[in-house]
Amino acid sequence: MHELRLMWRNTRMVVLCAISAALYAAVLVPFKVVPLIPGVTELRPANAIPIVCSFLFGPAAAWGSAIGNMIGDFFGGVGPGDIFGFVANLMYGYIPYKTWRIIADGQSPVMRTPANIAKYVAVCLAASVLCADLVGWGDNLLAFRPFSILGNIIIFNNMVSALVLSPLILYGVYPRVRAGRMLYTDMMPELAERPRATRIAGLTMLLAGEIGAWAMGNLVSTGYWMPSFLPASFAISPYDKAIAVTVSPLIFIALAGAWLM
Amino acid sequence: MAARSGTPFARADATAQTATPDGAARAGAPVAALEEVTFAYAGTERRALDGVTLKLWRGETIGVMGASGAGKSTLAKCLNRIVPAFEDGDFRGRVAIGGRAIDGSPVSELAPRVGMVFQDFEAQLFSTNVAHEVAFAMEQAGLAREEIAARIGPALEAVGLKGFDDRDPTSLSGGEKQRLAIASVLALRPDLIVLDEPTTDLDPEGRAEVFALIRRLREEGRTLLVIEHEAEELRGCDRIAILRDGAIVAEGEPASVMGRLALLEASGVHPPDLNRLLGMLEIHEHAESIDHAEALIRAHFPQLPRVERSESEAAGMVAEIRAGARTDTAAARPEPIAQLERVSYSYPFGPRVLDTVDLAIAPGEFVAVIGQNGSGKTTLAKHLVGLLQPETGRVLVAGRDRAGLAPAATAREVGYVFQNPDHQIFAATVEEEIAFGPRNLGLDSGEIGRRVAEVLGAVNLGAMRGSDPFLLSKGERQRLAVASVLALRPRLLILDEPTTGLDYREQRKMMALVRELNREGIAIMIITHTPWLVAEFAQRAVLMRRGRVLFDGAVREIFTHEDLLAGSSFRMPEATALARRFGFVALSPAELAARIRESA
Amino acid sequence: MPIYLYIDRRSAIHRLHPTVKVFALFVMFWSVYWVDHPLALLPLGVLMVALAQATGSWPNFYRLRWLFILLIFFTTLAWMVFYRRGPALIDLPIIHLSRASLVFGFGRGLKLAELLATSVLFLSTTKVEEFTAGLQRMGVPYRVGFAITLAFRLAPLFIDSALTVVQAQSLRGYDFDRGGPIARARRYVPVVIPVFMGALRKANNMAMALEARGFGIRAAPTSYIDFPLRPRDRLAFAIVAGIGVLYFAIYYFGYGAIAVS
Repeated sequence: MHELRLMWRNTRMVVLCAISAALYAAVLVPFKVVPLIPGVTELRPANAIPIVCSFLFGPAAAWGSAIGNMIGDFFGGVGPGDIFGFVANLMYGYIPYKTWRIIADGQSPVMRTPANIAKYVAVCLAASVLCADLVGWGDNLLAFRPFSILGNIIIFNNMVSALVLSPLILYGVYPRVRAGRMLYTDMMPELAERPRATRIAGLTMLLAGEIGAWAMGNLVSTGYWMPSFLPASFAISPYDKAIAVTVSPLIFIALAGAWLM
Repeated sequence: MAARSGTPFARADATAQTATPDGAARAGAPVAALEEVTFAYAGTERRALDGVTLKLWRGETIGVMGASGAGKSTLAKCLNRIVPAFEDGDFRGRVAIGGRAIDGSPVSELAPRVGMVFQDFEAQLFSTNVAHEVAFAMEQAGLAREEIAARIGPALEAVGLKGFDDRDPTSLSGGEKQRLAIASVLALRPDLIVLDEPTTDLDPEGRAEVFALIRRLREEGRTLLVIEHEAEELRGCDRIAILRDGAIVAEGEPASVMGRLALLEASGVHPPDLNRLLGMLEIHEHAESIDHAEALIRAHFPQLPRVERSESEAAGMVAEIRAGARTDTAAARPEPIAQLERVSYSYPFGPRVLDTVDLAIAPGEFVAVIGQNGSGKTTLAKHLVGLLQPETGRVLVAGRDRAGLAPAATAREVGYVFQNPDHQIFAATVEEEIAFGPRNLGLDSGEIGRRVAEVLGAVNLGAMRGSDPFLLSKGERQRLAVASVLALRPRLLILDEPTTGLDYREQRKMMALVRELNREGIAIMIITHTPWLVAEFAQRAVLMRRGRVLFDGAVREIFTHEDLLAGSSFRMPEATALARRFGFVALSPAELAARIRESA
Repeated sequence: MPIYLYIDRRSAIHRLHPTVKVFALFVMFWSVYWVDHPLALLPLGVLMVALAQATGSWPNFYRLRWLFILLIFFTTLAWMVFYRRGPALIDLPIIHLSRASLVFGFGRGLKLAELLATSVLFLSTTKVEEFTAGLQRMGVPYRVGFAITLAFRLAPLFIDSALTVVQAQSLRGYDFDRGGPIARARRYVPVVIPVFMGALRKANNMAMALEARGFGIRAAPTSYIDFPLRPRDRLAFAIVAGIGVLYFAIYYFGYGAIAVS
């Protein structure tokens, strides 16, 4: 994760961060398709952009995703949930390239073989679930909306874009960017990784944490199930306290895993 | 330095320096010096620069010319170490600024000494406010707030943007943006200012603004290196260097370089019209201005008439041309392909951009639409293709009212090539790009294949059919954009400034292609700012101003309306302007030379 | 196309110190957080209406009117599903319509609408450079603030170029509206790729131009913008802080909650 800090020293990466952000916002704003649930979410083709940028620009895309989402919010209004949205989008841009380096290092993300396709889907899913967890968790902590609404809609949304649009854009863009030697690996040759074992441990923690958080968030926020050690006063809607106790540790495990990757 | 009086860059008093007449020996260290500089970009064998040696002295303005890819930008980038510190590659030789070698310095640390202005004005503005933009470089250099505040006003004033402090750079015109970039460089007070094709992407007004500013900077005694591909603009420099394949093939005062027509042509540089004309008349001298050229020619052809431009004579000339022109344009016209009938249009909450415009384009015509930015040229074209719907009046395409027809529905009648080819290219290969349109029309694969082959041949991209369009040169991408519209087989092709950003050779190639298409029967409507292009290629000219058609007639005729053209800041080609002094209408140096010989 | 919400006026709110504005933004989030009952939220709503009037921000509220209406409507509806407390007024499947769920849901909707209104007011009265200057004062590093400003500058540029590409492709007979939602989303690929590649062409030029202007000479450049803290800023700060304390007091003393029998 240290490259998220290191990249700011590199002028090209700073520019690519701004460009990723502006591209995300530029597709977000005019192509804001009819909201699915207003104020909750809309079908956003723009969500394809952070995935594409992540494979191309790595850490610059992670920050670009966070900033771009912020600019998008600036058109539709910001709220306290946007602090979670910022971190969620940072992860949405961070997880894809990071996971790809662990499970498919050196391979092109432009899909060809079935194995490659499976890896691509897995990477997008890992990014989408963490993004959804963070927003759903934050929104339910503040007792604005139940985890089960945002936590699922965001996964659905992000996956639609990631599966339908991102591959086509990557197909058109990735080989050209690589030929132009503008991939983040070209621009940050100093990029150093942790030992492979650590990274795999990180990935495992990420997956365990985010899947756990997702399951727990859905169960608790709907009142379907609750750990028995919780006091009865927690077991009432909007379940903000219950979410704080049950989901937060899992979120932290996932973030710690991301940090180790 | 040689006498320079009468040149466009004339300076009231030459800055004090110890120069010998040949400019060879000067006191002190040069402001900048390149010695035997050779450079090849990483991953290429070709030398972008090949043994370049060049010195810039204090107060001097050097012009650098050459075709695209000749190494002009690379040379400029060596001066602040973008090459090789930022752009990787194999670098040899020495660069010194103010007598000190700069190897090892980061680019940013040279900023206070070497200011650089780039062609792409959008890519060098970083702020959301004009004053902050000027402050930017000073903030980076660590100047104190009071000092920054004190320098912003004068810098903006120097470039004619006084009072623009709080404007958003997005709201500025191209020329203003470029002047803002210059202001932010000036504010740092560098020893040397490098301008890398600062006007290539600008319209004539923007160009004029920027060159007027460059002249002022020169008069103030600043050291400048200006890269430019229009030779006429560089006539007033102290020295000119011609680059070809990475090497300097000629260097010297404009008078000694501009007359070397063969060398300039071979280097892909369009020699000034006046020099070409003099060459054709076998007058082996350099003309610094139209006045100068007139004097030179009269000295050789004393019997040439002197025209007092009285109104009656001008009117007579117009009448003569009109009589001749009638056969050009007004011959029995078939049904127009596209037609505007009393069309008016305003953008939402904006002023009127089209005001009761009538215009018809007949099959086979070659029409140039000229006028200042904002005069309504592009709005007019967008009505013809259906991107905009008239507020009042109507648009007819092939006799049918196009209201209600989607833009795609008339793609077979009227094609539109956008100014920037990169606004439409997306496919993986040249071939696929061209096939995109026919595929949208639902044609079968046999027909698509035939059209692709035909169009590839027409635009001369056959050898590149499998190439990635993004790897083509700007000129090739522009031709590809034309091809991809041609594949729809429109009867009228509208081209919006198709030569912007191209060098002379590419411009010629582009226009040769357009002429060929016209000869094959496709009507052409070209929106342009380039005088020689109108003069040389179009038959009919439409001049627009503030949404109205001010003139619609033969190209020959419009060049007799000096007042109209001047009011639209459209500069006549120099040969045409000179011809008027002798009472001729000539659209090219060759035509004028013939007329001069005839009457001699 | 006007995309940012900033309205160029010289109202007292416009001229407040950016840090005070950012502080006010957080205090509004804070105040809204502590109370649930619509009646307790109402005074804040009235305050915002008054501020909208004072700052001339009505055009922005009008622009987002549907967002406000639907936000309240759907949030109320969502909590009727998840807030299953209090006796049901009518027996319905899925939806639990009780007085408690109605008041709670409407309160949440109002909360979200007030948060949105706060942010609209903030953005209507704050320029991008004030925002980033405010962020930098709060400790955000220079280069991050710069990337945000640059992204704000680039987004409209990319939107313009996207709209031009849409026109250019439609003139080649391309129909953007054909097919179902997924097919329609895919049809934006010929728009996204040119915009993307155009942005990348810019990236290198921009990084070059930045370094040529001295970007990177020093880690913390000096700042030309100066915002002196004036007496009226201190007064505004005190008032805003007072509102925050008041709302916490309302919560602390047990008001503002929704009583469920």
